[in-house]
Amino acid sequence: MEHAFKPEQMTKKYFTPWVIVLSAIALNGLGFLAMRFFFGIGSVTNLNNQFPWGIWIGLDVAAGVALAAGGFTTAALGHIMHRDKYETIIRPALLTAMLGYTFVAMGVFVDIGRWYYIWHPLVMWNGNSALFEVGICVMIYVSVLYIEFLPIVTERFIGKVNLPGFLKKFNLLVDGLLRKLDRGLEKTMFIFIIAGVVLSCLHQSSLGTLMIIAGPKMHPLWQTPVLPLLFLLSAFSVGFPMVIMESISASKSFGLKPELDVLSSLAKFVAPLLGIYLAFKIGDMFIRETFVYLAEFNSTTIMFTLEVVVGVIIPLRMFLSAAVRNSTTGLYIASLLVIFGIVMNRFNNFITAYNPPYAVESYFPSFGEISVTLGFVAMEILIYRLFVKIFPIISLPIKNAGLKAKYAIRGGLK
Amino acid sequence: MSQNRRDFLKTFAAIGTTAATLTAVTPNIAKGSSRRELSIDRKGVLVDTTVCIGCGKCEWACKTAHNMEAGNFDDYSSQLTDGSQRRPSENALTVVNQIDTSIMNSDKVKLQCMHCDHPACESACIVSAITKQENGAVTWDTDKCIGCRYCMVACPFQIPAFEYQKALDPKIVKCDFCYDRTKEGKLPACVEICPVGALTYGTREELLIEAKRRISKDPDKYFDHVFGEYEVGGTSWLYLAENNLVNKVFPKLGTNTAPGVSESIQHGLFAYFVPPVALYALLGGVMWLSKNKDKNEGGH
Amino acid sequence: MRKLFYLILLVFLASNLFAQNKLSKLHSKQNLDCSTCHECEVPTKTNPCLALCPRDKGKGTTHKVEDAPKVLEINKIKGEKDLYGAVNFSHKIHAEMSEMANGCVTCHHYNPPGKMVSCDFCHNTERSESKANIPDLKSAYHRQCMGCHTTWEEESRCENCHALNDEHKSTSTTSEIVKVHDSVTRPQTKVYETPNTNKGKVVTFHHNDHIELFGLECVDCHKDESCQSCHNQKPNFKKAENKVQHSSCNTCHETEDEKQCAKCHQESETKAFNHFAKTGFDLNKYHSKNTCSSCHKTKGSYTGLNSQCKNCHTWNNENFKHSITGLELNEEHSELDCTDCHENNNYKKPTCTSCHDESEGFIVPKKLPGKRIK
Repeated sequence: MEHAFKPEQMTKKYFTPWVIVLSAIALNGLGFLAMRFFFGIGSVTNLNNQFPWGIWIGLDVAAGVALAAGGFTTAALGHIMHRDKYETIIRPALLTAMLGYTFVAMGVFVDIGRWYYIWHPLVMWNGNSALFEVGICVMIYVSVLYIEFLPIVTERFIGKVNLPGFLKKFNLLVDGLLRKLDRGLEKTMFIFIIAGVVLSCLHQSSLGTLMIIAGPKMHPLWQTPVLPLLFLLSAFSVGFPMVIMESISASKSFGLKPELDVLSSLAKFVAPLLGIYLAFKIGDMFIRETFVYLAEFNSTTIMFTLEVVVGVIIPLRMFLSAAVRNSTTGLYIASLLVIFGIVMNRFNNFITAYNPPYAVESYFPSFGEISVTLGFVAMEILIYRLFVKIFPIISLPIKNAGLKAKYAIRGGLK
Repeated sequence: MSQNRRDFLKTFAAIGTTAATLTAVTPNIAKGSSRRELSIDRKGVLVDTTVCIGCGKCEWACKTAHNMEAGNFDDYSSQLTDGSQRRPSENALTVVNQIDTSIMNSDKVKLQCMHCDHPACESACIVSAITKQENGAVTWDTDKCIGCRYCMVACPFQIPAFEYQKALDPKIVKCDFCYDRTKEGKLPACVEICPVGALTYGTREELLIEAKRRISKDPDKYFDHVFGEYEVGGTSWLYLAENNLVNKVFPKLGTNTAPGVSESIQHGLFAYFVPPVALYALLGGVMWLSKNKDKNEGGH
Repeated sequence: MRKLFYLILLVFLASNLFAQNKLSKLHSKQNLDCSTCHECEVPTKTNPCLALCPRDKGKGTTHKVEDAPKVLEINKIKGEKDLYGAVNFSHKIHAEMSEMANGCVTCHHYNPPGKMVSCDFCHNTERSESKANIPDLKSAYHRQCMGCHTTWEEESRCENCHALNDEHKSTSTTSEIVKVHDSVTRPQTKVYETPNTNKGKVVTFHHNDHIELFGLECVDCHKDESCQSCHNQKPNFKKAENKVQHSSCNTCHETEDEKQCAKCHQESETKAFNHFAKTGFDLNKYHSKNTCSSCHKTKGSYTGLNSQCKNCHTWNNENFKHSITGLELNEEHSELDCTDCHENNNYKKPTCTSCHDESEGFIVPKKLPGKRIK
């Protein structure tokens, strides 16, 4: 049942009741953001000298980077390994990664106290700092993602440039520039695609190195020298579930039929990846003999158990089952569980595990922090929805077309 | 298509060259500064907690020296006896606590930045705003800092504080070992004012000898351990006390340097940029091979 | 040539010897243990290995507390900020208090022979980083003072000793000069409860009597005491154990003999020792100033005396002056024996009849054997 697909703009109307709810959440977040910029971080967050990092780093940045892993994993699969079958999902994954990383950068921007100096790492280097590595990689990778997205923009506008009013006379010029850009990108795109994968591997793992320096402040269930590897492996394993989840959500939202055969075969990769991640996580636990801490019953161990059992073991079992892989609902739930597991993992690493020696009270995110985080998520979804309406992102089945030509992505190696 | 492939190779070669150049130019960045030699003459302070009377003059002098709201110096000693275990914060670079107020005249411990020999904060700082100076001080450069607070995450003693309440120009705040004063040959403000000489300023080496002399001379008075000699690779501030300060005042820390394995991992991943470049080459190769395979199949 | 060589050698040896002698001259007459100043066994001129702080050694110069200077002004310390003015140190009062502890060496721990050295002989007036092992003068002073001054006061109140310099005059009202020490009042009677003893859980200690009656000095009991033993007001203050308390009594009282416990340990508070009630002999105005041992000659034994004056007094005008009764005997009578006039131990009224005739008017007090004084 091979279908031919071609990315198209979505035509369904933008505003739905859900969109309005999301807009409200986004506005609420923006309100608190304004407060943060006018009255300081302390006025919005529960952060203090004991807990310098909260969910803005733990969720917005760390989990955000992990969940945007779909971008580089599908790029690796589709472009580098040339599994043409998966080309249909590359664009949505790319858009998610691009938006995801944009909001990661936003998360960093609002969290750092001296945001107007955010460009400093570009000129003031510290090779010892894991954060510097993450920062530089993310900065470059965001640029790479935008470049990777450019062909979609050129595709959308070439031949359709229609500037309003007196700018009309520039239509031809802009069109010519776009064509030039398109040709240039076509020749060099492979550089950016490979660079994107390399950069992702680097900073996904360096994100794990971040908390190693906290040393004994971090609970031994999570603190391990192999954290970078665990972060990288978990990023690998969450990439495809994220794409699957998005694809199904988008299909539902726009009333399309989910591309189940593509998603099912994509899902076949998930179980091995999750398995490797789990093996390393459990193996590390046994080598360092940290399982002794699980004998205690407290919020920390509950969080760890939730993370591993609900977030890794259950979805692993689900992805192993062909029945689950071939059902939309099964795939959706299993993918959500993997995402939950990874989000939990990042949250635990950055927040649950962090036990400063002189803490007088434990950290819980304030309403403002939660509002901003939720607001970012809502904004991301809204922009995603806007982009798929403006740009040809989501592939639709077409008839009477040669397979190859139709799903070719501009910028891929031809 | 052949055009494309030639381009591919050409660009690939160009990237290789660039990477090689980068590797040649930036080994010092990738290798990091923590491996540099520490000055033998670096200074330190020996804190003899058995001598401290908890008058709080050091807190007052510190604030005065750093142009902070200091208040009246008479009011400091009373803060000590209320049993609260205060921490250095954005409003006080140093504080003195009595550990156990139920025992009269028990050890009083002055807390401030320990000025590690291998500071985790320096290693962590994304913009190299924190520097271990030659005289032992770990200082912070306002103009570089972006306020990410990673130094606070990294510090094993939980010392750096942050001005959360400021919307504009919030600062990381911590003891700077009176870097400006010591440059002029003056003593650190706290050392200068201490009425009982509980703080002794000198080269770290001499202070260690002196600390051990005091212990051997008065073994009943001192717990036989100089805190800071080996902890997290050594600190500039050294503590003598009647009791073991570990777990009561300071967390239990190993003797590995404070940045721990973080730097080794970091340098392992980026050893002269070899791993990233190798990965890049590998992926390029895979891409090229699969492309060819694809083409051959497509050709049929 | 050889002669010259020997000469040089001789001069060399002699000069060495002389140098040695000169050194030993400095050390002579001082009767000191080498280890007082030298840490190693064989100090040489190049390496004298002098002890850093000859604390508690070399008690060379001493003088009586009464000769101590009364008030000293401590004004040699130079700090960056002059928060406080000079301290007027009540030296003599402190010297007297030090008698309860170790005496002058409590503070004057380095006390070489010769003149009493001032603190800045060793302790630098200015704080610098050069000397890690000897505290500077400011530290040295404060450490001496605060050792006692913090023991009963948790807050270190600088104003107790220092006057604030004008520019730092406190604006708050709490900093008025606090009185350093109330005048010590001597307790009359103290009642101790001894719950751990089997019988007699109350010990009444007539503090005043021990001084007034038994002639003890403060330091006889209050020796080697820190201020803390009186001033620690903390609730967790441990009461000294019985042994410790006995130790201050057992120089006079038998504390080891179990039969003697009841002498002090009673079921209820006891009255003060009353010689008349206990023995029938009233220590009236004539005997009240005597110490116990002036009559009870055998140490620790308070028995064997009766109320007869002869126990102590023999009549030879040497150990009893009759004039103390208000009557100075004239020459004829002063040579008589007591019993010649005072028959049957009646010392209130003399009998004159053994020599004189009553009918002739020889009746006291009409006619006296001497002249009345006062």
